[in-house]
Amino acid sequence: MAIQEADVLDEIRDQLEAIKVPGAREATPDNTWTDLDVDSLDLVELVKALEDRFEITISDDDLKPIESVGDAISLTMRLVEAEGAPA
Amino acid sequence: MPAPDGGVALVTGGGRGIGKAIAQRLGEDGFTVVTLGRTSGDVQADVGDPASVESAFAQVRERYGPVLVLVNNAGERQDGLAIRMKPDQWESVIDTNLNGAFHCIRRALDDMLSARWGRIVNISSVVAERANPGQANYGAAKAGMLSLTRTIAREMARKGITCNAITPGVIETDMTTDVAEKLLTGVPAGRIGRPEEVAHAVSFLCSDGAEYVNGATLAVDGGLAA
Repeated sequence: MAIQEADVLDEIRDQLEAIKVPGAREATPDNTWTDLDVDSLDLVELVKALEDRFEITISDDDLKPIESVGDAISLTMRLVEAEGAPA
Repeated sequence: MPAPDGGVALVTGGGRGIGKAIAQRLGEDGFTVVTLGRTSGDVQADVGDPASVESAFAQVRERYGPVLVLVNNAGERQDGLAIRMKPDQWESVIDTNLNGAFHCIRRALDDMLSARWGRIVNISSVVAERANPGQANYGAAKAGMLSLTRTIAREMARKGITCNAITPGVIETDMTTDVAEKLLTGVPAGRIGRPEEVAHAVSFLCSDGAEYVNGATLAVDGGLAA
């Protein structure tokens, strides 16, 4: 079964909350990392969580253009589709 | 914030000398201590080899738990004047002392980030700041550890992780017996240090009270570098 955008958004919100980003639960795909005050180390943690949760590998090159929650959702869904989705 | 339950204090080179004293002291402080050595210790690894470190950390996590305290103490010396120092003497000492610390830190940070708590202590040396002829490789590696320490401290400060360094002076171990006598004349304290005195400093840096001490270099040298 393919993953839904909402699943990825939930995971991102959970992780943002874990790294103590204010307003994590209300984060939307339109929010950029700058809006959310997410720095490069926060992003590393977020990527690790998405890799573990969705069993994907996110390369540094994949990560470079990712500037928002929506970008992260699209990338995750693309990689899950390419690498084979977990149930 | 106090140390979370269930974490491991990993001491590299913890089987003898300063490392053994550190392992013993952290055990007395209540940590579950695991020692890592090239051929001895609770787990074995060549710290200069990233694959070996990866495998050792996987074993530690499986057998004991996540690494929340890391003491990078593994070290080796291959002294000689730079003009006659062979490239492999240089590389081997840089690999064990500096690259080894980096490989272990990189792996330990995974566990520490998840826990939002971590203590890293890098055992550098007085020669990082006070050059000793014949130790170009060792001095460069130990000086590199100080910069590594400060960088990790700045990168991780927000995450409840501290990284500090200790620069021991002349300490009574089997690694220093050949040079201790010669170096002793320059030690203002007039005596050689004991491994337990370095261990005491490590204990402080891993304590709850040291939460705000980050990126520091603590000399335990009887005033040698002062």
